[in-house]
Amino acid sequence: MSTNGDEEETGPSTDSADPQERVEARRLRIARRVEARKRQEMGVDPDAKKDVKEELSKSRKQIEESRQRLTKLKTDGTELVTNVEVAGDSRESQRRLEEEELRRQRTERLEAEAKASAEKFEDVTKKWDSARRYQIPQDLHELLMQQRAACDQMIDEKNKLVNDLQQELKTKDDQYVKDLKKQAEDVDLMIERMEEQIKNLTKSYREELTQIDKAFEAERGELLEGNRKKWNQTMQTRTEKEVEYLKLREKRVEEYEQQLQHLRVQDAEEYNMVKIKLETDVQILEQQLQQMRATYQLNQEKLEYNFQVLKKRDEENTITKSQQKRKITRLQDVLNNLKVKLAKQEKQYKEENQGLTDDYKRITEQYQELQKKFKHFQSTDSRKFREIWMMNEAEAKDLVHRVLEADRIIHEQQLGLPFYQPDLWFMENEGPIVPRQMQGAKLSAMEVVQKVMSDQGVGPGGATIDEEEEIQEEGETMSMAGSQGSLASDKEQAEPQETTVMAKLTPGTIKQILELLCDESGFLVESKLNKLLAPLERDERSLMKLDAIFGALAIETEDDVHLLAQYFVKPKAAPLPHDAESAGPTPAPTERTDQPTSEAGEEGEEGSFIGSEEEELQFMMEEKESVKTTKSEVPELIHPNDIFKALRTFVNEHRQQQKKERRASSMKFVLGEERDDSQDEGYWRAMGGIIPEKKERLWSALLEGFDKYSRTLDERAKLITDTDALRQQNAELRMLLHQYVNSKVNGELEIPPTKVLQLEFSENQQQTA
Amino acid sequence: MAEPPLAQNGSKSGPGSVKSGKSKGGSARSKSKGKDGVPSPVTTAKDNPSADPRTMRRIIAEDPEWSLATVPLLTDLCIVHIVNNFEHNPLLDELKPKHRAKVLEKISTNIPLKVTAHLISDEGYWQRCCKARWDICDVSQYGGSWKRMYFERNLEHIIEHFVPERTNMDVVTDVLPLSGEYIKRLNIKQLLPPIKEETKKDDDTSETGSELGDGPEVDHFEFGPVFEKLPHLEEFGVTYGVKDCGMNFEWNLFQFTTRDCLLISKAVKSCKTLQKFHLCRSKVDDDKVRVLISHLLDHPSLTELDLSHNMIGDSGARAAGKLINRSRVVKMNLCDNKIGAPGALAIGHAVSKNTTLKCLDLRLNRLGDDGGQAICKALLKNSTLTDLNIGSNNMTEPTASILSQVLTTNTTIRTINLSCNRVGPDGGKQLQEGMEENSTVLEMDLRLTEAGQESEYCINQILKKNREDDRQLRLQNEKNKQSS
Repeated sequence: MSTNGDEEETGPSTDSADPQERVEARRLRIARRVEARKRQEMGVDPDAKKDVKEELSKSRKQIEESRQRLTKLKTDGTELVTNVEVAGDSRESQRRLEEEELRRQRTERLEAEAKASAEKFEDVTKKWDSARRYQIPQDLHELLMQQRAACDQMIDEKNKLVNDLQQELKTKDDQYVKDLKKQAEDVDLMIERMEEQIKNLTKSYREELTQIDKAFEAERGELLEGNRKKWNQTMQTRTEKEVEYLKLREKRVEEYEQQLQHLRVQDAEEYNMVKIKLETDVQILEQQLQQMRATYQLNQEKLEYNFQVLKKRDEENTITKSQQKRKITRLQDVLNNLKVKLAKQEKQYKEENQGLTDDYKRITEQYQELQKKFKHFQSTDSRKFREIWMMNEAEAKDLVHRVLEADRIIHEQQLGLPFYQPDLWFMENEGPIVPRQMQGAKLSAMEVVQKVMSDQGVGPGGATIDEEEEIQEEGETMSMAGSQGSLASDKEQAEPQETTVMAKLTPGTIKQILELLCDESGFLVESKLNKLLAPLERDERSLMKLDAIFGALAIETEDDVHLLAQYFVKPKAAPLPHDAESAGPTPAPTERTDQPTSEAGEEGEEGSFIGSEEEELQFMMEEKESVKTTKSEVPELIHPNDIFKALRTFVNEHRQQQKKERRASSMKFVLGEERDDSQDEGYWRAMGGIIPEKKERLWSALLEGFDKYSRTLDERAKLITDTDALRQQNAELRMLLHQYVNSKVNGELEIPPTKVLQLEFSENQQQTA
Repeated sequence: MAEPPLAQNGSKSGPGSVKSGKSKGGSARSKSKGKDGVPSPVTTAKDNPSADPRTMRRIIAEDPEWSLATVPLLTDLCIVHIVNNFEHNPLLDELKPKHRAKVLEKISTNIPLKVTAHLISDEGYWQRCCKARWDICDVSQYGGSWKRMYFERNLEHIIEHFVPERTNMDVVTDVLPLSGEYIKRLNIKQLLPPIKEETKKDDDTSETGSELGDGPEVDHFEFGPVFEKLPHLEEFGVTYGVKDCGMNFEWNLFQFTTRDCLLISKAVKSCKTLQKFHLCRSKVDDDKVRVLISHLLDHPSLTELDLSHNMIGDSGARAAGKLINRSRVVKMNLCDNKIGAPGALAIGHAVSKNTTLKCLDLRLNRLGDDGGQAICKALLKNSTLTDLNIGSNNMTEPTASILSQVLTTNTTIRTINLSCNRVGPDGGKQLQEGMEENSTVLEMDLRLTEAGQESEYCINQILKKNREDDRQLRLQNEKNKQSS
């Protein structure tokens, strides 16, 4: 088998070199042609590429060829070498198959033999059993011989088998030896082939290398040749061109020289002319230069001076700049300090503010408390005051009564004159005197309205008549009460007020105004109210509406009504309220002088804050009224469309007033309870002056007389008592004497005392006598 | 050669006459050198005029060849001394690089390993050592490291000539700590059996083997302790048998006992760095291979397993199939065993599910048509296997028909070896048809298959084309890599 492989391998390897190369060369040629055809098909474009490729391909081709040949050689070689192995393998597998077969046969044989021998052995053993039956020794001997023969046969067979197997073993041994030899041969062959292979490979490698070298060299030679040719060609063309250029150049040089000559002559002439001209120019210029120099010097000096000045200034500037800078920095510092301070102060003030607000809160609380207390104390004070007043009054009245009684007694009893009761008006009074002004209430706005509206039927004149009558009536009552004092005069105070109010605008206009208001400012009335009012009469309805409108506009008093009315009068008739107000103060003083006489004459200094404010308002109105009256008797009312505006202005201003009033009311609260004590003095003085001076003088004279009289009376009384006492003494002494005289002891005595006494008495009597 | 005489010469001249003697000697020597190359110290001593006290002080001023340079430098002397006493006083790291190179050039290759093993890393020295010891030295097989080669071959030599129960274990244990670091591969080509009779000679193993006769089981060298000392061992091959026994054949020489099997299995299992394991020509039968594989299951690094030339049968093949899917084995060689169709079925089943195995060698087995079909069917499903060798397996046409199907569908397989299977002309036709649709197979061995010359030629043409395509592809890939 190995020989077979040898043939297979050696055939191509030895002979192959030429045919293979030939085949490959052909193949390559075909491939190249195919490629060329393809390129032609593709077009002209890849021509350049083709050239490059063909140039490259010569060496490449050689390399490729060599590589393919070498790989072929290598694969062939390895195949050649491995062929031995493969052959060995196949032999081995063959051997194994045969071995298996043989083993199978052997085992079969062994088994068959074992079976046969077992059968024979069985026979023999059976015969042993039958042997016992034999009685005759010959038979037995025969049998024994037979048995031996059978056993021998069996043993022979066995031995034969053993021999066979041993023979086989021997052949196997031989086989083993042969195999070993064969193996050695194989190994030798393999080594030989390997060496051959190596030799072949190195040879072919070397060959290929030289061929590649050659190819490269040839390529290089070609390239060199081509390049050299190109080089020579280009060199040739170059030399030709150079000669051409040289000739051209020479020609040109000659031309240029001629031109130069010509130019030179021309230029020399020109030069001379120019030279002369320039020299003259130079002279002129030198002169100018001198001049310029002079001016230059002058300028230089000037400029130097200026420069010095500027330098100085610059220095100054720098100094001031630095100063300013310093100042800026200083100020910056100050600013920073101040900022810090400011922050500190702000903080401080904030704290202070906090403290103050706290204080304020505390104080307002205290203040409220105080107010409460104050109210309390006020009430208590007033109560106390009233009580004390009452007590003192009672006491004073009592005293007055007593004094009057005493006076009456003095007059009637002592002097015997008729007694006239003095004026005792103050006795009527009870409790502290209350200022009468408070009692006079103002007319509410509604009342006025009602009044005005009710006057509907009656003309404006009628109203005035009524009022006049009222005034008259009141005047009568006043005169009636006039005897009683100034009490009734208080009522008059209200009267003029009312009259002034009504006088401001004629009730007709006011009525018109109110109607207007009622019609136009329905939006101030609630819709519900309108529904409710629907069934009512026209007058009542308008009344109710007005009530609602007034409520909405916060009109409460009559004054308010008139104030409102002012806004409804056309500005032509009445200038804008604003202007009027500003113009107000000038005429005010003149009227103010009147005012105290008519209005506050009685009140005196009672005019409180409220009063003054009201007065002012009144002044204003009066003033307006006066203006109105002067300009036009019947004031023209504004167009209904302007009512809204008028209302707005009114509300704006009225609200301010109201605010003021509210403030004033708060003030009133503080001072409201201030009692008017101006009448008290008169009152008390009247009480004290119940006894006039004349009467007092009379009384003092009387007292003197009475004193004297009483003194004499006292003396007399004293004397009476003295006499009485002496009388009693006498009586007592008489008694004692009587006793002594009458006593028994007296008798017993040589000289009775009675007799002494009598003697003495008699002596005394004689003396006296 | 010139140096030692100089040293001798210097030492011989008396202490009193060092200066002149040296100068003269130098001049004389230089002259003699010029004349006959190698001067003899004796003759120079005789010719030396300084030996004569009367002419000692005479200086030949005219001598144009005399120069100071001939006087040896102190450093050279020191180096010579270091070289001579290297065995007792090794000085190397303390020297300057150029001096060190000189020392390494000169020191003897017979210096004990104890001194040199860790001290010298210079490849030149180890090259000298290797060349002095062995005639054939192919350093390319040892990763270009002479030192590794020296140590590996040294240890292999020691183990191969280790006779159990006779050789002192110290021989091995002495070397191990010195060489453990440098050894990556051990390829033990023979293991000697222990000697039973005292009369046997140690050195002649073949004789001992022949005289032993059919004795009881004998255990071989134990690898467990050796592996512990080799931290970098990656490749290990062992043959339980005697090399070159020739006509002294005894069955006893080729015994792989159960204990051996157990020990080697445990040793391999414990060696976690091992990547390649070869156990060839060791009469490994089914039971032993099962023991071995049970230890190899889930080995963390094993990628190559070679169990060729053993006696593995079907059950062993089943175990191998199990191992394929329970390890990272990439290459498995089971050639020249006794695997039959059932074993091939097991292996085929394993391969069909596997994604790691790339090379499978089942040459010289007894797969038969059934086994071959099983393996080929597995290839229909598998997409990782690239090399397959099922040569000499008693296969015929049916296998070839399935293989042609494989050729049309499978695109990963590169090499197929079908040699020595009687495929026949029809099978060859089928293979040809299969190959015509394939563009990935690079090699297909169809020698001694009786496939018919025409189909063989066609297949070879296709293979050639495939190889060219593959080459172009590879070149392009390389270019792409370079460009990227």
